[in-house]
Amino acid sequence: MAVMHEMAAGMGGIRTAGDLVARMVMKGMKIGPAKEYVANKLGCSIFDLTDSAKMKEIRESLDIGTILDRPQASYGMAAKIKIAELLDIKIPCVELFKKKIGI
Amino acid sequence: MSEEMDKQALLDEAFDSIIEADELRAMEVITKAEASGFSLEELLRDGFSTAMRELGDRFASGEVFLPELIFTSEVMKNVAATIDSKLDTGEVKKKGVMVIGTVAGDVHDIGKGIVASLVKTSGVQVYDLGREVPAEEFVAKAIEYNADFIGSSALLTTTMTEQKRIEELLEAEGIKSEFKTIVGGAPVTQRWADKIGANQYCEDASDTVNYVVKILNTETKMI
Amino acid sequence: MEKYFTRMGDGEGIWMTKEEIKEDVLKGMETAVLKGKSQPLESDEIDRLIEILTMPEKNVSVERGHEGITTFDAGTLKLCVRQAIPIDRSTAVLIHERVLCSETMELCNTDYSYKAIKNIAAEEAMAMEHAQMSCILPLFYGAMPNMGLYTKPDGPVDNWSELLPSGQIKEAMTAQEEAAKLCIKDMIYVGSALAEAGACGIQFDTSGASGDADAFAALSAAKVLSEKYPDLSIIIGMANEFNLGMHGKLTFEGERLAGQYPAKQVKSAEAAGAHNFGVVINTNSSRSFAWNLARSLTYVKEATRVAEIPVIVNVGMGVGGIPLTNTSPTDATTRVAKTMLELGKADGL
Repeated sequence: MAVMHEMAAGMGGIRTAGDLVARMVMKGMKIGPAKEYVANKLGCSIFDLTDSAKMKEIRESLDIGTILDRPQASYGMAAKIKIAELLDIKIPCVELFKKKIGI
Repeated sequence: MSEEMDKQALLDEAFDSIIEADELRAMEVITKAEASGFSLEELLRDGFSTAMRELGDRFASGEVFLPELIFTSEVMKNVAATIDSKLDTGEVKKKGVMVIGTVAGDVHDIGKGIVASLVKTSGVQVYDLGREVPAEEFVAKAIEYNADFIGSSALLTTTMTEQKRIEELLEAEGIKSEFKTIVGGAPVTQRWADKIGANQYCEDASDTVNYVVKILNTETKMI
Repeated sequence: MEKYFTRMGDGEGIWMTKEEIKEDVLKGMETAVLKGKSQPLESDEIDRLIEILTMPEKNVSVERGHEGITTFDAGTLKLCVRQAIPIDRSTAVLIHERVLCSETMELCNTDYSYKAIKNIAAEEAMAMEHAQMSCILPLFYGAMPNMGLYTKPDGPVDNWSELLPSGQIKEAMTAQEEAAKLCIKDMIYVGSALAEAGACGIQFDTSGASGDADAFAALSAAKVLSEKYPDLSIIIGMANEFNLGMHGKLTFEGERLAGQYPAKQVKSAEAAGAHNFGVVINTNSSRSFAWNLARSLTYVKEATRVAEIPVIVNVGMGVGGIPLTNTSPTDATTRVAKTMLELGKADGL
């Protein structure tokens, strides 16, 4: 059932900018301001945030993780470190990781 | 006209006394009713019990809270007991016995507890079997207590099937007609009740009381 | 007269005329207006809702620009446990991320209660750390306060559901207060362990399931954790359309919790420092989908009207208008999604 909600009303997850907008919503931003914030950070329009074709290019160029694997592309923690920098937010697991490796 | 007005005034006062959980006032109403020759049974049914059902509805809307409801039901119990003691045995309809529980595999018991409390206020003797009650126990206890009603609550789609088992056990033992089975719980519907052969689906505590009272008033058993 | 395919609250398919659908929409809305003191829907919203309900498409979706974020309570319980697919939770998270377009996921345990998890908090923390290494999406941890588990025989406290019907009101209230203290302690303990493990957020799911004391426990734990871990997202999810007054006298930040409907509950969640609030309206399985959806929408709209934090509507099985059946029909599911975001102005699902 979840996938139906995601198809009908979701932003598209990491196919698009869904996870990025979700991070801002989880920080307490309402959806409208969260979309604006992320669009500003990505340098695209709000409309583009849910366009998987556009967002594929943006995500690959920023190297913040996409749904398809590519050699030497960032995934998992590496992608999140970049996302934290991009969005100028603290992501707890990133902070923990940095602490563990002493950076 | 004046007699009608007096009757209505008594009923209104009975109603208000329960809404306000004022036992003293309720007892005064009973005394007044007796002095006026007004039917105490009617007073109980149309005055006091109506107020309990109204409180049940208000509880279901979140306007009244459970401790208040329980406190009032204690008042109601005393009112019902007082009226009982004053009635000739010829007037008394059998009060009824109910066994109630949450079905096996299900631990949700808040709604069931509320139903048990409200049904008690109608003078029905309620045996609360608790939660996670196997179908066999529903049937065994219904026989043991000579129950009129078997009430089962299921809050999960996976545990609803236990209600069907109760019906099957009653059929298998050839005693289905001796009990009225009532089913309730969030996933339960009248369609489910019809499908499994239960007598009644009740949506909430008020609904259950209404059904129980209706059955007791129309199907008087000889004591 | 033309009839439209729709559903009952238990998922059964039925055919209704537009007039019948409209009648149920108005009745469902009125219930929320009367009981929850919600503002009624505007006439254009009612018309739009009826339009959504009678669209000929099997599945519908939001118009561009109305997309919201999706979250998934008890997410890692589904594929690996309930769907019996033999994968671990990290793999389930990645499937949701890479294949199913989830925006966020929730790591959780099969025994979805904070009391049970307290015993395995270290293991859950390790699972969180490992999952976070490989996933990109926000991953939070969730469970239920489930305060009833602190009652005998599962816990040390007397069962207020048994004390109350026997008239022991004072004892019942004391029992709830005792259970709440224990529950708060466990939620802070588990929440802290998972925060230290790098969880993006903590969810208190179905807060209020055992009544107002249960809600009190979740709010109290949320307040402590929000102050202790400023970067941790706190999500509080409701249990029912109002806090059942099992105690009746508990307050949080000066507001009585018993009887609170979503619009008041979200303000209490804000006072506790929560970042997101999950509205829950239980589906009435005996009523039509139209009735249920209109009622849920009215409550949701009232909550989003007053909320300062994002409102994420619970639209799983049996809530938010979704039929109460394990295999939720997609026609109903997608109509709920569209309605809640376009008309309900929710921030997500």
